[in-house]
Amino acid sequence: MLCQNCGKNDATVHLKRIVNGSAAEVHLCADCAYSLGYGDAFSGFGFGTGGLFADLFLKGENAAQLRCPGCGKTLDEVISGGLLGCAECYNTFYDKLVPTLRRLHGKSVHVGKRPNHPRGDRAAQLRRELDEAVARQDFELAARLRDEIGELTANGGDGQ
Amino acid sequence: MSAKWYLGTGAQNDVVVSTSVHIARNCAAYPFPGRLSLPDKLKVNDVVRAAVESIPDYSFRFSEMKTLSQAQVVSLAERHLVSPEFASSRDGRALLMTEDESVSIMLNEADHIRLQVMLPGFAPDEAYRTADTIDDLLSEKLEFAFDERLGYLSQDPTALGTGMKVSVVLHLPALVRTSQINSLITMVSRLGLSMRGSYGEGADAKGDMFRLSNTITLGISEHTAVENLKSITLQLAARERAAREEIFKSIATEDAIFRAYGVLKYARQMTTDEFMDLISLVRLGAVRGLIALDCATVEDLMVQMQPATISLSVDRPLDRAERDKLRAERVRQALL
Ligand SMILES: [Zn+2]
Ligand SMILES: [Zn+2]
Repeated sequence: MLCQNCGKNDATVHLKRIVNGSAAEVHLCADCAYSLGYGDAFSGFGFGTGGLFADLFLKGENAAQLRCPGCGKTLDEVISGGLLGCAECYNTFYDKLVPTLRRLHGKSVHVGKRPNHPRGDRAAQLRRELDEAVARQDFELAARLRDEIGELTANGGDGQ
Repeated sequence: MSAKWYLGTGAQNDVVVSTSVHIARNCAAYPFPGRLSLPDKLKVNDVVRAAVESIPDYSFRFSEMKTLSQAQVVSLAERHLVSPEFASSRDGRALLMTEDESVSIMLNEADHIRLQVMLPGFAPDEAYRTADTIDDLLSEKLEFAFDERLGYLSQDPTALGTGMKVSVVLHLPALVRTSQINSLITMVSRLGLSMRGSYGEGADAKGDMFRLSNTITLGISEHTAVENLKSITLQLAARERAAREEIFKSIATEDAIFRAYGVLKYARQMTTDEFMDLISLVRLGAVRGLIALDCATVEDLMVQMQPATISLSVDRPLDRAERDKLRAERVRQALL
């Protein structure tokens, strides 16, 4: 199927739009999807660009049979569908995903807010960082982390 | 009927129509919606619904999408309360919405939770604060899928990181008429934002309404994303105002505005496209003080005159011709 915008390239991005009182599908090539502003998960109101990610995925990986223990999805399926199956997929395919994430966002490390679920693993994460700091003999950081863990576990909740 | 969010007016209202913040979240205990069975989707709906209904100071109405008619669902999408994607398939999906429609939460769209806060005018800080508070309250009850390196997890890698999108709807009739819009769309895309028609596509945006949003969510904090959007919005608004000064130098602009006003007041049938073209000019005349009409009336009409929404206002199905006749009638009444 050809792109409805340029009529030249193959359409790989399929989006739902509201046209004249019903939900219609729009078919675009990746270039046109970007230039029309659909280059993100939330386009339109918007949300949901099946396939765009697949186009960006670095091809030629020979680990395609790698399988997520959480949901059973293979790397092959992730690449062709552009979607991950569960949270565990990100652990399983992490190394394969990072280059693509860099192309997508320009960066690959989160810097925003974090969940405050009482069972959230903030304390566990700090303990991991503490272990690493100790292993690196970065005792200044280790002391800071130890204090932070102490505070977390003292203030309400048990931090676990 | 209680007042809806779009009946308010906000700051920068001559250019900025509305502001919204979207947040995507998933429950750690379940696979993402694309990998979730129908019974599990219903379980997710129950779990999230209970958490949402425990939020103090808000009261949400819960609807399972499969209990709504096609026209009701499409009307929700026309009002930007759900995504077109959400409207296109209804099984296992549900919507939680406040009475004034300022907060809506789609369940089992591409993520288990898609929270939206929508406010009139230019209000990114306020909209983000509300969304952030609701997210915090939900995360006390629900364990979200989160990774230290990648942030909030989603089946779609383009939403990783903050899972947060902030957007404004801009009315840019003068930038369209002075042919500056396409180069501005290209410019904002280089800055990690996107701008596209809020109704209709690209330069054919209906009603000269454009939605400006951040596209990057990983490696950028919520605060930075909001500040970026604010600064680009103010720059675009300043350009639009300068372009308005230019086009008003010619009598043709004022003439076009009053002709549009005349057609809206007296026509007997009107398509959505014609309506959107004319109401854009009338909005421009209204914020300029040429026409005594407030923006809230214009914004309300833009929402109410969309095809599925207008069809819902009567208790029988309408064909296109009947819709066009009813639209002209409603517009005449509103502008009397
Ligand atoms: Zn194309
Ligand atoms: Zn998985």
